[in-house]
Amino acid sequence: MDIAFMWETFLILLTGLPLTLELAVTSIFAGGILAFFLSLLAVVGGPIGRGFTRGYVFVFRGSPLLVQMFLIYYGLGQFRPLLQDLGLWAIFREPYWCAVIALTLNTAAYTSEIFRGGLKAVSLQQVEAARACGMSGLLLFRRIVLPIAIRHALPAYGNEIILMLKATALASVITIMEVTGLAGKLIADSFRAFEVFIVAGAIYLAITFLVTRLMMIVEFWLSPHLRMRPPNLA
Amino acid sequence: MSDRGTFLTADNKNSTAAVSVKDLRKRFGPLEVLKGVSLEAQEGEVISILGSSGSGKSTMLRCINMLEVPDSGEVCIAGEMFRLKKGRYKTEPADRRQVDRLREHIGMVFQSFNLWSHMTILENVIEAPVHVQKRNRAECIEEAEALLERVGIGDKRNFYPGHLSGGQQQRAAIARALAQRPKVMLFDEPTSALDPELVGEVLKVMRSLAEEGRTMLVVTHEMAFARDVSSRVVFLHKGVVEEEGHPAEVFRNPKSERFRQFLSNER
Repeated sequence: MDIAFMWETFLILLTGLPLTLELAVTSIFAGGILAFFLSLLAVVGGPIGRGFTRGYVFVFRGSPLLVQMFLIYYGLGQFRPLLQDLGLWAIFREPYWCAVIALTLNTAAYTSEIFRGGLKAVSLQQVEAARACGMSGLLLFRRIVLPIAIRHALPAYGNEIILMLKATALASVITIMEVTGLAGKLIADSFRAFEVFIVAGAIYLAITFLVTRLMMIVEFWLSPHLRMRPPNLA
Repeated sequence: MSDRGTFLTADNKNSTAAVSVKDLRKRFGPLEVLKGVSLEAQEGEVISILGSSGSGKSTMLRCINMLEVPDSGEVCIAGEMFRLKKGRYKTEPADRRQVDRLREHIGMVFQSFNLWSHMTILENVIEAPVHVQKRNRAECIEEAEALLERVGIGDKRNFYPGHLSGGQQQRAAIARALAQRPKVMLFDEPTSALDPELVGEVLKVMRSLAEEGRTMLVVTHEMAFARDVSSRVVFLHKGVVEEEGHPAEVFRNPKSERFRQFLSNER
């Protein structure tokens, strides 16, 4: 293995890292918001809301992300005149936005299921205790339901963040030059797939390592009540 | 308007009682749990509600703060009646905000404590005063610490519910209810989920509350508490009040055969 070449590769791939992170952060953030409302709809939206969320999850969880990305980037190109009329072409023309939309819609499906599970896991007894002292509506949700639901959902949500980070690599197939896209280009130039992909993989590994540590810290910070040893007395 | 016409109307004349319940009816599906229960608690009274399981005693208690909405009947807290309306399928509160407001004055203690698991004991106790009643946080903390001290767990204020024994959790739950400065306290079998050796510490706290003249409605199986502490005993059987009176009277000389049987089983 050519260490000097790998170092060079590393420096080049690193320039794609901001784009990878941007794709991940944007779609995780937007997908999280979308998922929040989807899960609320599923829990309190009655049969129609539940049906809608179920349908959404069925479609976006049931088909490959790559197919969804192709559909949005290449497929919607067929409807260019319509999209131009609607003023949306400026968005669907850009591979970046197509990737963000596909990633967002996809992660929202998974995340809404994670949030829904978190909301469902809030014990009725604790909600009842809150009602009994005069809480209702938003206050009840903000002070009792949400904090408990977040704690339930966090481990699974951390997993989803990592999956999304890695899923950004798929954006390379619709011409986006993030880490994997740059790797593909380097390989086309150098024919040294092994070294290049080793370096690319190591970069992803390093990010996911950081993210898992971060999630562990958040989880630790949010769950003093689950640790065996009581905190020291103030 | 038909909606307004079906308000279960009140006559609020002689309703200075802390709690007044009139002709409460409630059914769950085919099962009629309450068949017209009436009850009045004057301020400072401690009423023990007895009955075998399925007698409707918990349901009655839960109707007092609308955790269960009665199909018909009246519930008044310090003279103010919960306004109810007939919904399409069942009776429901006419004004959710009124329910919230009245609930602020009703402290409830549950069989399984129902403390909020993500908050420390102190946070549990100050939650309602700070976030529902919007009182000054520093004052609430001071008051909460005094309450925790009073129920004997002042040193546990920074613990989480999961780190405490059942008896300690229930005492924390009592402190939480007291922090609302309630006009009436409801206890729904507060010792039934506890190991026998932990029952005493909870009963001791409840006894001291009774002694300071709090209005309390207690659903319980603790005969000694009912006999020694309460000012009145109500025995429910199959959804109706079967026997009611001063504990010394009803325990010595039960009028109803059912209550006689119940007592002989409990002893």
